Amino acid sequence: MKVFVVDNGGQWTHREWRVLRYLDVETKIVPNTTPLEELEVDGLVLSGGAPRVGLDADMMGNNGEYLEKAGFPILGICAGHQFMAIHFGGEAGPSGIPEFGRTQIEVDEEDELFEGLPKAFQGWESHNDEVTVLPEDFIGLAHSNNCKCQAMKYLKRPIYGVQFHPEVEHTEYGNDIFKNFLNVCEENR
Amino acid sequence: MFDASDFIDEAIEKVREEIDGKAVVATSGGVDSAVAAVIVSRAIGDNLLSVYVDTGLMRKGEKKQVASMLEDLDVNYEIVDAKDEFFEALKGVLDPEDKRMVIGGKFIKIFERKAKEIGAEYLVQGTIAPDWIESGGDLRDTIKSHHNVGALPEGMELKLVEPLRDLYKDEVRKVGRELGVTVSERQPFPGPALAIRILGEVTPEAAETARDACAIVEEEIEKSAENGDMELPWQYFAGLLPIRSVGVRGDIRAYGYTIFIRAVQSVDGMTASYSRIPHEVLDDISIRITNELPQVNRVVYDITNKPPGTIEWE
Repeated sequence: MKVFVVDNGGQWTHREWRVLRYLDVETKIVPNTTPLEELEVDGLVLSGGAPRVGLDADMMGNNGEYLEKAGFPILGICAGHQFMAIHFGGEAGPSGIPEFGRTQIEVDEEDELFEGLPKAFQGWESHNDEVTVLPEDFIGLAHSNNCKCQAMKYLKRPIYGVQFHPEVEHTEYGNDIFKNFLNVCEENR
Repeated sequence: MFDASDFIDEAIEKVREEIDGKAVVATSGGVDSAVAAVIVSRAIGDNLLSVYVDTGLMRKGEKKQVASMLEDLDVNYEIVDAKDEFFEALKGVLDPEDKRMVIGGKFIKIFERKAKEIGAEYLVQGTIAPDWIESGGDLRDTIKSHHNVGALPEGMELKLVEPLRDLYKDEVRKVGRELGVTVSERQPFPGPALAIRILGEVTPEAAETARDACAIVEEEIEKSAENGDMELPWQYFAGLLPIRSVGVRGDIRAYGYTIFIRAVQSVDGMTASYSRIPHEVLDDISIRITNELPQVNRVVYDITNKPPGTIEWE
């Protein structure tokens, strides 16, 4: 299976690559300006990044095109997740209380992404912005005390977004979340 | 999964293709540069010269330890004394990024000098993933300019060879163990060394204080871990703050500096949580520091995770 990581300039982009590699997936980090036609993959991870998507969406390259046209599953993380919400007509903006480091993630809908995980676990965060209004045809999957949308899912296609960072060592069950996403990619092949 | 032995084979192969002639390897005494040195020396043998720069900012006993490590590694090596040069260049430099730039530039000057002497065109560095990630560039923000990436001077002529670029510390340790590198388990130590554990101006006196405090923290924590009183943290050290506070020593008013203790649990240095050190251990450290270092009259413990903090303070 082939799942690439789209680099939006995150501190943990390379961690996403590492987690996928450890799960024996063929993977590569690609710039977010890569044309969609060049991505012959079974799934895509949109990394987090320095861009504050509400303020400088033009730094998010072709993320919009991937979300619009891709035939494969997509997992957006942090900035990737926020951009996803804006792209599909929702809203993202500055967090009332930004989260850094350990946060308790409460799962509201298990869905495929959190399958087999406990209802609450420790997620590691680093964000100034968050999804404030879910787009149409999206459902929220998880929340935390200070952030209503820790995870969301598009009902029409296998597209997911998470605000916390399943790719870092300090997030509990991060590997399982990636495995669950890879299962979705597998089913979609 | 990550297979250290496969990695070594591929890395040696790649280095052979990359290096044509002689190379200099920048050695710090830490695991990254030691592992890089061994891989490259396996690839090009005696065409490699290992250079260790004594900046005057190293840990206690470091020079001796490095010399014995380099002997063990069986690579050609040279130790360059550049203490005065570094302290001179750091005079009046207060900003953490400026410090890193000054140090990165100095290092390269020395390596270029050595390379010229032996006719080498390549500089091997033990750069690992967090170094270039945190140094930033393009979309990525600069968190700190690592001396071996973001703080390289413009117009540098040596060609860089960095066999460990895609690895994190835990993976480098696996490779090191596979190669029999004795320093594989050593805790991480930053390239700019004590300079970034001294907030404010770096002077020989400040370096002495930070070095002594670091040694006390290391000794006490290692002793407690050996006794089974606590888990050995991933990284543990002290830093010197330019903040003075009032104290009382022998019925006399004191006005001394502050030492902070930092200890974290991590796997790869990209996220970290502060270590739950038993209060008894913190107490022993505090008493030793304030008794053995008369210029210090206050000790604090840093309870910040990464993010939002970084592991080092600068």
